[in-house]
Amino acid sequence: MRVYNKLVVSLALATCMIDTLLAAGGQKNLEVYLTINIIAYLVITLLYVYLNPRARRALNTISMVLFGAFLVVVAIKVMEVLRG
Amino acid sequence: MKNPYKILGLGLCLFGAIFSPMSYFIIDSVPLTALGISALILGFTCIALADTRPYVSPEACEMILKTGMENTGALLEELGLKSKAIYLPSAMRDGHPQALIPLVDGRDIQQVKGKIQGRLIVRYGADPEDMAIAVATPGSINMDMLETKPGPTSGEIEAAATYILTGLLDLANSVNVNISDNRVNVEVSGSRLRYQDIWYYRCLGSPIASIMAAISSEALGKPVRIEQEEHGKGGKLRIILAVLS
Repeated sequence: MRVYNKLVVSLALATCMIDTLLAAGGQKNLEVYLTINIIAYLVITLLYVYLNPRARRALNTISMVLFGAFLVVVAIKVMEVLRG
Repeated sequence: MKNPYKILGLGLCLFGAIFSPMSYFIIDSVPLTALGISALILGFTCIALADTRPYVSPEACEMILKTGMENTGALLEELGLKSKAIYLPSAMRDGHPQALIPLVDGRDIQQVKGKIQGRLIVRYGADPEDMAIAVATPGSINMDMLETKPGPTSGEIEAAATYILTGLLDLANSVNVNISDNRVNVEVSGSRLRYQDIWYYRCLGSPIASIMAAISSEALGKPVRIEQEEHGKGGKLRIILAVLS
């Protein structure tokens, strides 16, 4: 179970660090927080490639949902830029 | 509801679901809203991981492992076999990797070639004394868990060993593999199985060494013997495997 613990702890530390740093930097845009957190999540879960297949499948499902959210944020931003 | 990951996940989801809209609409704070969303993501991750835990408890697994080891150990002790086992790749044993223990001690078993019969007592050479018993080991059973057969490089063996020992079985923290001449040097850190001075371990090696021997044998496509096994402090384990023929 130590692998699962490591994954959960690294995700928690990464999100806390990202949110703190962005808040300290005076960032007020929620999309920036969301995008960076999603990227960190995708990178960290990708590093745990040796997890058992069932855990991998479960994480892949969440990753796909988050990637979808990331694409929606990017699409909204692109539309905003195109509209001027 | 005893699963700690599920409890943690539900707690985080509940916190995130309440805290993020509250932060956004009432407190009007973007960083706190982001914190709530992060908690929500982490909560869903914990819930997803909770369902992937093994159905059988570790205690039940240990009981099954001990039963198998004691039975094989009793058989080896009764037959008086003291030789170190030779791990054969699946190609030499009806598609399942197994370990061969020579019935006569001190025989030169460097040249095991061809396919060995799928029986308990097998002949591995031309001499009438070239007889051995073939048994399944923790290593040979674990080979089925690999999605693809590892390649013969140290990197591929290391990746397969990390996948099984760290990812699937959670028996060690990390594995390092080096191949030089006809030796495979393995360093395992954070091993969670202690070496016991019992007949089974003396013949077939500890379960971790057995898994490493089976993976190396399968990857290299050659018989492998556990030459040396050293257990250090803090779960450090050094295994030297000799590649035969």
